[in-house]
Amino acid sequence: MVYYLIVCRSLTYAQRTASALERAGITAHILRSPKVISGEGCSHSVKVSERNLTDALTVLARVGLTPKRIFIMSSDGSYKEVLL
Amino acid sequence: MIYLDSAATTMQKPSAVVRAASYAIGHMASPGRGGHRPAMLAGETAFACREVAAELFHVENPEQVVLTFNATHGLNIAIKSLVKPGDTVLISGYEHNAVTRPLNSLGARVKTAVAPPFQPELLYQRFEELLTGEVTCVICNHVSNVFGYILPIERISALCRSRQVPLIVDASQSAGCLPVHMDDLGAAFIAMPGHKGLYGPQGTGLLLCNAPTTTLLEGGTGSVSSLQEMPGFLPDRLEAGTHNIPGVAGLLEGMHYVSQQGMGAILAHEKALTTRAAQKLSALPGVEVFAAPGLGGQAGVLSFRMGGMDCEDVGERLGERDIAVRAGLHCAPLAHRSAGTLETGTVRVSFSVFNTAREVDRLVREVTQILREAPTT
Repeated sequence: MVYYLIVCRSLTYAQRTASALERAGITAHILRSPKVISGEGCSHSVKVSERNLTDALTVLARVGLTPKRIFIMSSDGSYKEVLL
Repeated sequence: MIYLDSAATTMQKPSAVVRAASYAIGHMASPGRGGHRPAMLAGETAFACREVAAELFHVENPEQVVLTFNATHGLNIAIKSLVKPGDTVLISGYEHNAVTRPLNSLGARVKTAVAPPFQPELLYQRFEELLTGEVTCVICNHVSNVFGYILPIERISALCRSRQVPLIVDASQSAGCLPVHMDDLGAAFIAMPGHKGLYGPQGTGLLLCNAPTTTLLEGGTGSVSSLQEMPGFLPDRLEAGTHNIPGVAGLLEGMHYVSQQGMGAILAHEKALTTRAAQKLSALPGVEVFAAPGLGGQAGVLSFRMGGMDCEDVGERLGERDIAVRAGLHCAPLAHRSAGTLETGTVRVSFSVFNTAREVDRLVREVTQILREAPTT
């Protein structure tokens, strides 16, 4: 299954992000960022389904929560950054 | 035991606080340090604590709520973020050592706005006079831990805003019983303990941040781990090392309790007890009570002296009668200097939502008995 990872600068930021998405009815799950995408070291990401990304970005823009980076995880398990 | 020392810590806690802390010990790990359930549960608890605090204290963003180990910890961060050696700082004459000792350690020049207790207009005038161009920071207590005196913090914060000087508020005695609104006060920082009026466990506190910060501790944060600099973002920047998650879980329940009870109702209850104690104690011969006229500007803290008796001796004798009070200088010699009680200290009683009028009456009976037993001089 294809899904997106919204990389956040901190756990608290990820929690704010997930909370905003859940309030808007978008299922969001917090997880530790995979090492290959974590950039400067440990971070947390918010996982959303492929079909929800556009709505998620709209919601986050509305509440002023800027994603640090976004990656798509393909069915083969690889990650590719999505340019915003 | 009649516990009348809630200005130090509210020893009696709501049962939900005890349950939550106990549950956290057995089920929660370190927030942000793992993807497993105990770590995530700890993270969810910490975030819930920040969210509830942000709502209670009108903070725009839960990231601005930093979890500290007590108010002193928060005040140290705030002071060391804003004050540099040699800076001039204006403080009230009711500050705790948690403020004055860091300033002394930094080598700050300290100007003090002094006025007798329960004279807010005079105190405000002193702030107006002393808030001159060289002052780079103002620090003000919201409620005196010695006298329960409610300082005119709203007017002082407006004065600071008008003169564009950052304000640090010590809400140690007001958080949980008086409105402490970050947005209204426009403070740079507000520090508070979790273990007093918020009914959390000891070892908890909150620092509400609205200014650039300097770290007090450096270490692991579970974020940007490959960098050797501390993160530039809150709350991670100020939360190095493992959190006191059992304490945070308890504090969360304590804040829920305060919200359910209502701060207005809590203050009304504590004021009623303070009024009762002030009226009855002041009727006793030789007892000097420090109370606001009509107790309008006083929270649930009351100091008194018993003519000719050492305050520590009175505290000891009350302790022997199973009544816990605090005697001495209460870590606030400056407040005693402002009130003219530095040489003698005072006996302090302070109330929580769990105290009753019957307990106040028992205190008065025991004080009466101690007076009878005291050797005549």
